[in-house]
Amino acid sequence: MSKSYAVLPCNGLDKRAGCVSKEVALTLAEKTDSEIICPVLYHVADARYNKIAGEKPLLVIDGCPTRCASKLAAEKNLKIAEKINITEEAKSNNIVLADGLRIGENETRLVNIIVDKLTKEQESAARADGSMIFPENLTYEVYKKDKFAFRVPKDKGFYFNENDVWAYVAGNKARIGVTDFVQKSLSDIMFFDPPEIGNEIEQFEEAGSIESGKAVFEVVSPVGGTITAVNEKLLDMPELINQNPYELGWIAELELSDFESDQDLLREFDEYFPILKRKVDEFHV
Amino acid sequence: MPDTQVGVISCSGEECLGGTLARMATRKVMEELRAGRVVSLCLPLYIAGGEEERAFAKEFPVITVEGCGKRCAEKSTIKYSGGVKDTIVISELLGEDVALSKVVSARDLKEEHYKMADIVAEEICRKVDKIVAE
Amino acid sequence: MSKVKVIPCSGIGKVFGLMARETALQVTDKLSPDTTETVCLASIVTGDDAARAKVEGCTCITIDGCPALCSAKSVESVGGIVKAKYRAVDETRNHRGKNAGTGTALTEDGWQIVDEFAEKVAAKAEELVEEGKNNA
Repeated sequence: MSKSYAVLPCNGLDKRAGCVSKEVALTLAEKTDSEIICPVLYHVADARYNKIAGEKPLLVIDGCPTRCASKLAAEKNLKIAEKINITEEAKSNNIVLADGLRIGENETRLVNIIVDKLTKEQESAARADGSMIFPENLTYEVYKKDKFAFRVPKDKGFYFNENDVWAYVAGNKARIGVTDFVQKSLSDIMFFDPPEIGNEIEQFEEAGSIESGKAVFEVVSPVGGTITAVNEKLLDMPELINQNPYELGWIAELELSDFESDQDLLREFDEYFPILKRKVDEFHV
Repeated sequence: MPDTQVGVISCSGEECLGGTLARMATRKVMEELRAGRVVSLCLPLYIAGGEEERAFAKEFPVITVEGCGKRCAEKSTIKYSGGVKDTIVISELLGEDVALSKVVSARDLKEEHYKMADIVAEEICRKVDKIVAE
Repeated sequence: MSKVKVIPCSGIGKVFGLMARETALQVTDKLSPDTTETVCLASIVTGDDAARAKVEGCTCITIDGCPALCSAKSVESVGGIVKAKYRAVDETRNHRGKNAGTGTALTEDGWQIVDEFAEKVAAKAEELVEEGKNNA
């Protein structure tokens, strides 16, 4: 799910660029959860839009160098998260905006380019970094077998399913990944097939897969919800899962749909650790 | 030490046949002859700082298997984990002429090489069994 | 100019270590025997002076099996000039779905990967030799 904006477009009705500005705002509102601030109404009655501007990051869309939307935002003391200037975007994409006020082929193309850029940026940011607040230093319990050490985080908030996938839950969000047992069983992980951002998955449904020379492992999600971020670093460096499956090697984040129900079928550290020890004892890594 | 596991750190050197035989023999002991009893420790990883390998060697008895008289595995184990329980030097076991002869690729192994590796593997097993019986 | 040193990790635990080893042998024995040679990684690090002298200040190519990069780390620590670092696991990624074998023996697919890998390394070694001649 892409991040949503409060969108303040300019209102240049007498220029093609102003009409394109409005079109970008409408398309964003259709494709994402963004909300439009009407610049005319905002001038005269700002209470309604102040609330929206306070809740979502503000995207300002100016049609031309006059920058009416930016000026309005400044006037209202709004913090601008992102700015688009239609005339500049047209120039940098080698698109000529024709005379007249109707949206034509070129204008539609420009609208799509701008909207794609905005939504892709949101996805990339969500993909690479994740948006969850995750504990900086985890506390691990270690079980040793042969020369191998299997760690399990003891911190509150961690839950485990029977497929040895963990979920860290904070508020209405969760981050998921595989345990040390999984990454050691697989040995060097070579491929990561991520889940799609935006996909809604149920508890115990597949959320991507990881593959080593030994096996393909489907990541069975301990929780249900909507995928909001994936760890894109794993695409080039899947070995991060081997190095640190609980921190650098996290797999995906979700917005939870019904954790209260999901929780009944999950285990916390005290229950999971003895199970892990048994699995390790039975498995020759 | 009936319940103990025994670590085996083997040379895998590419400069002479001894390295090839050490590797073959250790793998055979680990996979077939003493599976579950013997833990093979990767020498390059050990040298480069492998924490799990070094920690194991500190806690459990270790045998080193050397391709030649340089005794690289033994020196490394003493340096990073304190000591070794026993050492097999293939050039002493099979003779220098054999051990120091040209390295053989796994693609070019012949019956005689497998037989030599078996001799080394048996020697490893003897030493493992001796440690376990203590 | 001294030969380019091609130094594998030869890790015993994984198929990648065997692939690294066999790739290095293929390069130094068959593909580029006049311009490359291998050196035992362990002997360099444990202080064998002759081995160290072969590597210190010399042009080296390291072939590691996995992301632990044991050969690259160790060769650099003793002063080898590592001009190229390779990992067998990366080569194997280019052959998704194929089973390369185990730390004991390679499959036919594994040998195919090794052969391709060796060509790549040999080409790099040639490039480094030319570079060395031009800089001399």
